[in-house]
Amino acid sequence: MKTSTILKYILLGIFNALMFYVVPLAISYESWFLLIIIGIITFLINITYITNKLKPLKWITPGFVFLISFVLFPAGYNFYVSFTNWQTGHILTKTQVIERLEDLTYSTEEQKGVEFDLYVMQDSNLDFFFLADFDQDNLLFGRAVTSDQFEDIEYATHEPSFKDSNNNITIPESFYLLSGKEQIANSSTLQDLSLLVDKNTRIKLYNISVFGASSGRIFSSQQKYTYDKDSEILYDNRKNVACTLGDRGNFICGGESVDPGWRINVGTENYQRIVDDQRFRGPLSTVAKWTFQFAFFSVALAFIVGLLLAITLNNEKVRFQKLYRSIYIIPYAIPAFISILVFRGLLNPDFGLVNDWLDPLYQLFNIEPIRWFRTEESSKAAVLLVNTWLGFPYMFLIVTGALQSIPNELIEASKVDGATPRQSFFKITFPLLLVSISPLLIGAFAFNFNNFTLIFLLTGGGPPIVGADVSVGYTDILISFTYNLAVSGGRGVQFGLAAAVTTLIFFLVLIISAISFRYSKRLERVYGNI
Amino acid sequence: MNNTKLRFGAILLILSLVLVACGGSTEETVEEPAVEEAPAETLAAPATTSPPPEKLLIWAEEKIAVALDPLVGAYESAAGVDVEVVIYDFGSIKDDVLTAGPAGEGPDLFIGPHDMVGEVVTNGVVAPIDLGSIQSDIFDVGISAFSYGGEVYGFPYATEAIAMFYNSDLVDGVPSTWEEVKAACDAAGTELCVGAPGGGGGGDAYHNIPFVQSDGGYIFKFDGGFDPSDVGLDNASALASAEFLDSLVKNGTVAATDYGASMSAFQEGRSLFWMTGPWARNDAAAVNYGVGLIPTFGGNAATPFVGVRGMFISSFSEKKVLAQSFILDFFATVDVQAAMYAEDPRLPATKSLFAIVEKEDPIAAQFAASASNGIPMPNIPEMGSVWGPVGDALLIIRDQNYGTNEDTGVTVDSAADAMKLAAQQVRDAIAGG
Repeated sequence: MKTSTILKYILLGIFNALMFYVVPLAISYESWFLLIIIGIITFLINITYITNKLKPLKWITPGFVFLISFVLFPAGYNFYVSFTNWQTGHILTKTQVIERLEDLTYSTEEQKGVEFDLYVMQDSNLDFFFLADFDQDNLLFGRAVTSDQFEDIEYATHEPSFKDSNNNITIPESFYLLSGKEQIANSSTLQDLSLLVDKNTRIKLYNISVFGASSGRIFSSQQKYTYDKDSEILYDNRKNVACTLGDRGNFICGGESVDPGWRINVGTENYQRIVDDQRFRGPLSTVAKWTFQFAFFSVALAFIVGLLLAITLNNEKVRFQKLYRSIYIIPYAIPAFISILVFRGLLNPDFGLVNDWLDPLYQLFNIEPIRWFRTEESSKAAVLLVNTWLGFPYMFLIVTGALQSIPNELIEASKVDGATPRQSFFKITFPLLLVSISPLLIGAFAFNFNNFTLIFLLTGGGPPIVGADVSVGYTDILISFTYNLAVSGGRGVQFGLAAAVTTLIFFLVLIISAISFRYSKRLERVYGNI
Repeated sequence: MNNTKLRFGAILLILSLVLVACGGSTEETVEEPAVEEAPAETLAAPATTSPPPEKLLIWAEEKIAVALDPLVGAYESAAGVDVEVVIYDFGSIKDDVLTAGPAGEGPDLFIGPHDMVGEVVTNGVVAPIDLGSIQSDIFDVGISAFSYGGEVYGFPYATEAIAMFYNSDLVDGVPSTWEEVKAACDAAGTELCVGAPGGGGGGDAYHNIPFVQSDGGYIFKFDGGFDPSDVGLDNASALASAEFLDSLVKNGTVAATDYGASMSAFQEGRSLFWMTGPWARNDAAAVNYGVGLIPTFGGNAATPFVGVRGMFISSFSEKKVLAQSFILDFFATVDVQAAMYAEDPRLPATKSLFAIVEKEDPIAAQFAASASNGIPMPNIPEMGSVWGPVGDALLIIRDQNYGTNEDTGVTVDSAADAMKLAAQQVRDAIAGG
């Protein structure tokens, strides 16, 4: 065999090993979806590279794999989450919830707060023994066992012989007293052991001290909750009630649901809420309208500014072309969140530079200073202003590039035919520009449709729409509105609901893009063959 | 040819399977004896023979990690434990604990603010902690901040609350009433009087909450725990407090500033007072400053929100007793707490440390006095639905943005209207889930 073939098989082997390594992990987290994806990917990769019959796939498969993992999987997962009740109080799986609940101990009122020195020792069989130093009459000693051994164990006994006449602890020869350090080395075992005092009482290690004596606590001999797998009933041993399965992914104890709960499938409930809930429906039309306006004007303004600059600088008579071009790219090079925060300061109505500069104008025309961010109009204007500043360098760059690719002969030919510069721009240059640029404009529109950063940092959605059913502002766009609803809902974060709204937004953007691409295709057919 | 290749591939597949299977089983066999095999036959020092030391993984912000770094070695050698402190951005610890814990990747211990207690408990990612005898050394506000459903879920190590900075070149201190504050400003003749975040277009319920809850108003009724079904934002006292804030804005005592504007005004000597917390001490140092209590409301001390930071035990930790011992035996000791204070001077949550700090740092003592009048920020998950509406309502008052809204047809003519609206939005949000 050729070296390359051997190399191929080694790489394939490594790939398979990695994939199979993930399998038990996926099973242990009950992530069946991931398991299926891994199965498909592993199968595809192997079938492609082991056989020689599927040559074209050798190039397509890797791309397909990346498409799955970075586009389809996140989108699909989001879609899946939108059908669950994934929210605060429901982020774990049922198994994890039961484990957490069964882990809890409790103390009765009398047992609470009693703290005493606890000594840990081992006999020659390496069994652990606890000695609890309550008081003179209660120096309790016995074997420490896990809770499933409680049935067969004898209760702890008072052993005054473990103290000498000076009240110091003395350990018989047959036992070894563990130091704090040794207790810590065995702490994973020790934390599950109890010294049973009577039917209802046990002693557990509570604080291992390496500098002083370790101490213990008394607990009820029962766990706070025990779960019966077969009947699916959770017993609350403290209140002595049986808790049944609720239909929202919770145990219900005496009418009250127990936290934490787990994730369940809730069908289309999240989508229904968007339709039915007045808190959504009320502001939705206002927000949606502004979202479209915002995305459209953001693209349009940035494009117009970029286009004008590009055309101006494209003129060969302009000197220092490169210098100007570099300067105009600066807004693009500064991280957006920094420019946004700077603008927030500049536009401050009381202390900001913008109102300082405009002050002579205000006085000249005797008008009220603009109250940036405090009125609907000024906030919307500020958002568009800042977004134009952030967006025009990108448009400037791509228009400059596109302009240079338009053959000069076309313009000259039109000149010969007697067209004015304006005519040749609108009839030839501009349509040709649109052919190459319109996909990018659509992309920019989709981006701005979800431009969360700008809104969040610049206005936080404000100013608030007074009297709306929910805290929402005039500059909130769909995605920031969703964010507010999802994270500041009634009870913590609601991922399921947020996923439902983002799924809707996804389809909305998809439809808009599809229509626009169709339109730009038509442009291409008309102007493409020039 | 093809057949041999296929067979080769199949063998590789099986080989990789076998390899993985081996890897898995060795991992499992390592875990078990580590705990069991402890002592040898002789009874002399048996437990020390167990080879791999226990490990504790802690997520903490940089300053805490830096403070722990020189001290933790002593504990490590005394206890035979590997303590790994991973530096984490304070704000992102909660989100990552919520995802990493259930995925089995989380820390044993982590630090965080107390207002996330409700959320992490409801989600089941933290374990209760029994502070035992050290509980009496912790200020009550710290304990109630970390209490949820009758259990304590963290060891509080630092607190913070807002108070009032004053420009000590222009005024001698903070007067005890708002009328005197106004008079002091008039006398000093500064452009602005009190700069407080929460105006100028930037809603901020946290900084403005003394204007709501100092004189009988409340967000959620506190009775052992916060009761989300009892919202007191629009009770008579809260409405009267809102009207009082309105009058303070109208007579120019409280300026329409957001955080940045209130800061620059104070730094440039354009305002006499700045209402914010101890984190701003470095910024305030641009002028000679002192700190005093926020003036009283109707004779009652101003009640700011107290934020408390603490250390949690993950419910996914497999070493809960060790984790708890680390807190009680090491982290909570006054030496460690003092080292943390030196690195990150928030207010101490323990009385023993406060006794030391009080003498050395009078400014910190002022903030502590303000905090002692405060109540812990509600730690229930429902608090998420409060910040927006209350911030909006107070913003209307602070910016005097009254009037009828054209889109909704709702009229807000007074501070009381704004608060009623906020209360309604909070109730709707909680009812709507």
